[in-house]
Amino acid sequence: MKGLHRLFFIALFLMALLVAGVIFALVFRLSFRELWDAVSSAEVLFALRLSLLTSLAAIAVALVLGLPSGYLLARQSFRGKAILDTLLDIPLVMTPLVAGVGLLFLFGQTFLGRHLASVGINLIFSPWGVVLAQAFIAAPIIARTCKAAFEEVSPRYEWAAQTLGLSPLRTFFRVTLPMARQGILSGIVLAWARAIGEFGATLMVAGSTRMKTETLPIAVFLNISSGEIGIALSCALILIAVGFIILLILKQIGNNHRPELPMKEVG
Amino acid sequence: MRGACAGDLHLFSAAGLRQPVDQLVDMFQKETGNKVFVDYAGSGHLVARIIASGQCDLFLPASLYYIQAIEKEDIVDSYRGIVVNMPVIGVNRNKEQLIRSFEDLTRPGVRLALGDPEAMAYGRIAMQILEKSGMKEKIVKNVVVQGATVKQLALYVAQGDADASIIGRADAIQFKDRIKIVSIPDEYIVTEVVAIALLKDAAARPEAIRFRDFMSSAKAIDIFRQFGFLPLGEGERQKGYLR
Repeated sequence: MKGLHRLFFIALFLMALLVAGVIFALVFRLSFRELWDAVSSAEVLFALRLSLLTSLAAIAVALVLGLPSGYLLARQSFRGKAILDTLLDIPLVMTPLVAGVGLLFLFGQTFLGRHLASVGINLIFSPWGVVLAQAFIAAPIIARTCKAAFEEVSPRYEWAAQTLGLSPLRTFFRVTLPMARQGILSGIVLAWARAIGEFGATLMVAGSTRMKTETLPIAVFLNISSGEIGIALSCALILIAVGFIILLILKQIGNNHRPELPMKEVG
Repeated sequence: MRGACAGDLHLFSAAGLRQPVDQLVDMFQKETGNKVFVDYAGSGHLVARIIASGQCDLFLPASLYYIQAIEKEDIVDSYRGIVVNMPVIGVNRNKEQLIRSFEDLTRPGVRLALGDPEAMAYGRIAMQILEKSGMKEKIVKNVVVQGATVKQLALYVAQGDADASIIGRADAIQFKDRIKIVSIPDEYIVTEVVAIALLKDAAARPEAIRFRDFMSSAKAIDIFRQFGFLPLGEGERQKGYLR
């Protein structure tokens, strides 16, 4: 086994080296002064704030939609389930730009779009459009990972909890959810990473209006186009740094809060 | 990927010029047997890529502005002006009655899409036109979205998500079923010269020179005109736009 592990360690090392090399190459092009100017500029701070807020909102929407969907797909069988299940994966294989054009066509000058706008919900060309684009990509990831996580939890525990007098709702929140926690959290991590880095769909649905729908990835794109490579790289580095910190925190939460029940091992 | 064969050319072209360029590259390849690899992207992106990599023989941006931008780097050998992409007001066909002239862009309630002034040629040009017109403040109030490419702006207008935009004549003609052209008064107009640059360290120099001259030949200009570009005016020709 030891020889095999050593061999695998080489693969792990190469991967880490490549990622570190890319980050180093980006940092290397940038002077501290450029980074500081960018970090303290109103445009970059706006983009950072917008990226954090929209991605959090998108994850909230994606959880509300994806978690129950994932549970149903794990527990119920019904006609056409395989097709429905596959349909939910489509946003993941769609080019984001195409997803964006599709969302624009659906929520733009259509019956749906006009009615939403008449009640004050403007999804096109607004920060809500950013949330829409991100949630469209994030929700299927959450549904997918939640489904896998719930499948790991045997329904026997739910039956047992209910025979012992727990209501279905409390069973879900006290038994099923804690046991599936690990998988759900890693789903959130994946979905959040995709959401905050989302670019193509955002560009079409929300546009790239500076200080209005300018997320960090949009800022990178605009500043590369206008030759402001320093600002573009700074935005990219901020995106990487924020991503790294949040992913690390989420992973820590996942590790520290394993359910105390021994069921986990059996499930 | 370059240099698979001696005499192969690598062209960086503005994505907005794709239709005529595809056709012309095809013609050139048949005529000469030299393969031309084309990278299409936004002009600003191409500039960033040229400066970062240097891996390019010929550069065909949507505006001479981008050639001038890389001249500072001392990598441009020479360039030729080809055609003019005239800025026009593209109006959604359902809003023809609402926007009949440049002044109508100031009407309250008009939804305008404009390009980002720093990131794209038509954003910069639109700003210059608005400034010349003296109606900038009123018009800017009507901007509901900024785009990053001119085709994106054209799509917003064609779909009716915006009522109008300042785009190239060629871009408006591409969507002529859905976009009506309203011309901009001569005194405000800022034209955009499409030009091709030969870079100093082009690998296959004689072939690259041949391609540069082919792209600025009368035959090539004819193809560009079929897609709505205009020939260089007398003034532009006198200035030469070549070096």
